[in-house]
Amino acid sequence: MLAKRIIACLDVRDGRVVKGRQFAALRDAGDPVRRALRYRDEGIDEIVVLDVSATLESRLANRRTIEAIAATLDVPLTVGGGVRAIDDVARLLDAGADKVAINSAALERPELLSEAAARFGSQCIVISVDARRAGDGYTIATHSASRPHQLDPVAWSREAVERGAGEVLLTSIDRDGGREGFDLTLVRAVRDAVGVPVVASGGASTPQSFADVLLAGADAALGASIFHDGDATARDVKAACSASGIVVRP
Amino acid sequence: MIGIVALGAANRRSIEAALARAGAATRFIEKPSEVGPCDALVLPGVANFGYVAEELDRTGLRPALIEAIRFGIPLLGICVGFQLLFEGSDEAPRARGLGIFAGTVRRLRTPRVPHMGWNLVEPRGDLARSWAYFANAFAPDASVPDAIATTQDGDDTFASAAMRGNVLGLQFHPERSGAYGAALIASFVQSTAITYAG
Repeated sequence: MLAKRIIACLDVRDGRVVKGRQFAALRDAGDPVRRALRYRDEGIDEIVVLDVSATLESRLANRRTIEAIAATLDVPLTVGGGVRAIDDVARLLDAGADKVAINSAALERPELLSEAAARFGSQCIVISVDARRAGDGYTIATHSASRPHQLDPVAWSREAVERGAGEVLLTSIDRDGGREGFDLTLVRAVRDAVGVPVVASGGASTPQSFADVLLAGADAALGASIFHDGDATARDVKAACSASGIVVRP
Repeated sequence: MIGIVALGAANRRSIEAALARAGAATRFIEKPSEVGPCDALVLPGVANFGYVAEELDRTGLRPALIEAIRFGIPLLGICVGFQLLFEGSDEAPRARGLGIFAGTVRRLRTPRVPHMGWNLVEPRGDLARSWAYFANAFAPDASVPDAIATTQDGDDTFASAAMRGNVLGLQFHPERSGAYGAALIASFVQSTAITYAG
């Protein structure tokens, strides 16, 4: 049986790990390669690297950082940041990424997802969806949450998957870096709308918060600050998950 | 020297790094003349089946690889590289595989498709089962004759490894499967050294 995944996210800017709150107030959190290897040693199932200023600076994720992590890591690596075209996907895969996350560019030109899936297979194309609460529902935002859209994350996730995305990386902007627990309502809504795996992101607070969102239906749960601040390791998180009856890789 | 078949779409750098961690010297292969000097071959795969099958024909690598396999050169196929060793795939019904293994590749019927993450590889016989990393929407059925290990999720069981003679294929990614994957790659590298010495 497929295990639920515990993922660590490294938001990277200028070759350093940074972390903020609601996509702002970034502070330094160390060297990405050392962080990735430490999390690997602590039992993490996957590393996600997001170059958080790439799209805003109209460039692709930093290749040297990706290469350095990819060459040493022996668990899967997903990379996002500044992917505009199919050649960008090829470049990131060639730098050692196993999966490539696409966000802003997919909303501007959804065909990018179908083209990328036709060439690389949908299993390595991730649609990254950043959502925030709006009234009774949710709306999405792009460009590191700086550009709001009217579209709701359920409809957009469904379309992105129909076009070829093989996974949804779903981030709650409201919960980002706030350590208040994942947005279970948001995760359930998107999970019920698509047939591909859904990675829940934003709000990881305690080991139990991971178990809660995995029980709510997420296929994987992602944390950043909780790991960077040393409040819990992947092993702590997995112990809490096992205690809740969730299958995780030992 | 281990040749990594580098057909555009593959995640060839991950494979290169994993082989380097196992102490192997590698080179990328893009045309038939580069196949001959290699002691072993790796056919990696992050790609669409149809795309790679077309690339095999466009580059002329298809007959070169088949000849090398017949000659006894060890070959390791990974993910779509594994699937290409079969006769064909539902992912691209008109495309032809290399036909080293009998049978075809079908769409998964796992609870979520793609089947993404860590799952157990259960070898036939009494070998220990191990966790490996998968990212696949297709796989050969568990019933294919050359299957040596299977993997199950929900109601679906598929072949996660197959072997025939000098050809080994893995549906999962050994380069991203921690210590288990590293051990598999090390044993592949060692087997090629023995072939070379013999």
